[in-house]
Amino acid sequence: MSAAEAATDSAGARASGGLGRGLTGLLLVAAPVALVVALILWPVGVSVFDTLTVQRPDGLHFSLDAYRFFFSDGFSLRNLWLTIQVAGTCTVLLLLISLPIALYLRFSETRLAGYIQALALFPLFVPSILLAYALIRTLGPNGTVDILLTAVGMPKLPSPYLTPWGPIIGLVWDNLPLTLLIILAGLANVSRASIDAARDVGAGSLAVLWYIILPRIKGTLLVAASFVILGLFSAFTLPYLLGPAVPEMMGPFMRRTITEVDDPLQARTQAVVTFMICAVFAMFYVRSVARTRREQSS
Amino acid sequence: MNRRQLIGCTLAAAAFMAAPGAALADVNRIDVYITGDSNIINFWNNIIKPAYEAAHPDYTLNVVSARNAIAPIVERTMAALGTDTDPQVDIFDENDPNLPSGAIEKGLWVDFTQAGLENYGMINPVTLETNYGLPYRGTQVVLAYDTTKLDPEDAPTTWAELVAWMEANPGQFTYNRPDTGGSGGNFVRRAIHEANGRDPSLFRIDNYVEGESDELLAKGFEILKEIAPYTYGPGSYTADNMQSIQMLAQGVITMAPVWSDMALDAVNKGVLPETIAFTQLTDLAFAGGFADMTVPTNAGNLEATMKLADIVLSEEVQAKVVTEIGAFPAISWEHLPEELASKYANLQPASIPTFPGGPWVSAISDGWFRNVAPHVSR
Repeated sequence: MSAAEAATDSAGARASGGLGRGLTGLLLVAAPVALVVALILWPVGVSVFDTLTVQRPDGLHFSLDAYRFFFSDGFSLRNLWLTIQVAGTCTVLLLLISLPIALYLRFSETRLAGYIQALALFPLFVPSILLAYALIRTLGPNGTVDILLTAVGMPKLPSPYLTPWGPIIGLVWDNLPLTLLIILAGLANVSRASIDAARDVGAGSLAVLWYIILPRIKGTLLVAASFVILGLFSAFTLPYLLGPAVPEMMGPFMRRTITEVDDPLQARTQAVVTFMICAVFAMFYVRSVARTRREQSS
Repeated sequence: MNRRQLIGCTLAAAAFMAAPGAALADVNRIDVYITGDSNIINFWNNIIKPAYEAAHPDYTLNVVSARNAIAPIVERTMAALGTDTDPQVDIFDENDPNLPSGAIEKGLWVDFTQAGLENYGMINPVTLETNYGLPYRGTQVVLAYDTTKLDPEDAPTTWAELVAWMEANPGQFTYNRPDTGGSGGNFVRRAIHEANGRDPSLFRIDNYVEGESDELLAKGFEILKEIAPYTYGPGSYTADNMQSIQMLAQGVITMAPVWSDMALDAVNKGVLPETIAFTQLTDLAFAGGFADMTVPTNAGNLEATMKLADIVLSEEVQAKVVTEIGAFPAISWEHLPEELASKYANLQPASIPTFPGGPWVSAISDGWFRNVAPHVSR
């Protein structure tokens, strides 16, 4: 018997043995799957279809006009490019800020660590609209930071409000807890024993980080980055309230295109382009999860 | 949102949508549908409802918030027209009687000139646009400025003076993006009026022609591009009405276009200091408008609703329109207490130009974002 036949055999045995259970399982997932299909996959499919077709007198035709417009329109491309830049900058900043905090929280045993964790997770409970107005009052022109700087005789700083740095600061603050939680979860896989062993043979802190910790949490960092980027691409409130009028990020741009410019076709095209970019990162995430599953089951 | 939350929310939303139909059944109840914000809902609940129920104890007022979902309720009223069914709507607080098209011809709306309202004669004629809508509160874009930096005697009163002031004081003026708030939106529209001989009649709801009309708009955008280097930033346009007010409050800028009712409310609440004053351009005012109440002819309590309309137009309620929500009264100022009239003298509208919506909105939004906004950057 070849290996393939053996595999089919054992799969068949499993299926017949667990048919009843399998059916119950399928029924259990049917409701959520139906919801996802009806509320997400179907509308996405319709949108993609709409952007690829035009209605002519003799019926529907395949057409790339909507995409041709988007990719030849400097204004749209600038908005897309800004979104990519902001998402990239935010992700790098988030990883750079979260990693040291996560390392501290993982390996520190003082009581202070608990307070720092609470403080780092605090943004999770602040709605972004409140955050936006709070940032205008603190980092905005003549805001708290300016007042403090003036009080100690320093010159005022150029305010990030209404520049691309406004949303970047807001989004980093807003996404910090999520990134931190994911990295903390990843760090749980790094055993103290392996670090102690490395220390025993004379490894310094940087060497421990580089050769022991980072290799173990590489996948986690990728997952954290994918998650954050997905959120950043769909960000709306903070870019809308803190960002410049132009270039806009894709979230405000899509909203304006559909409600103000009254151009649903372009809005859908923008959505599909954004969706395709996000899909790449979603794929990283799914692959990473699948790999972890495989490693755990083997 | 996880799966369980999604299902929960969907069920809650379904129950919520089914609820109004089940809840309305009372015969002596007048159903008022409000399109406005929470300040308007509070105004109806706290001012108009007690006044009406004291005068007509047999009836109760049911104030319902419809916000942006007014269209299906109007459709429901239309569908009930000519049948025995009670549409369970007696009055809309802010509604365009021209919608849905043909509603007036089919006799859906009460003609207020024929309705025999006691207080109809007091209405300020500049506020009347249609026989089927009853104006009761208005707002207009005005220029708010900081009197500690600009002497009221030097406040600009024409577009040319405004531009001259901006050039002399770069970075002290901002307006919000035209898509997100009417104060900036109507500033942009005023520039378009300025570029086209200050003639609002050139712009009508039915005369937008692609290309030709875009040229009229482009002339306005040119004016805005010329002043762009003198705006705050330069070229940092705030994201909404409230942010312009906040910039004024933080002393960052000296002047901004604002909605009169929002700004008065901000002064009353202490968000804006008492040193903020208002001015209006006299060569052509900024656009604004009045909220028109409409009453369907098939309302269940038509007669009682007409008495409600009279109370809303009464001197007492109209004075509260000024003091409570900072809006313009729909009745002429001579019917209101003199101290009130003199206090708000600068805000009294001599005329309220309007700018049509429809295709103009998209042309202006798209045109401004593509031409004016990228013109300068900080």
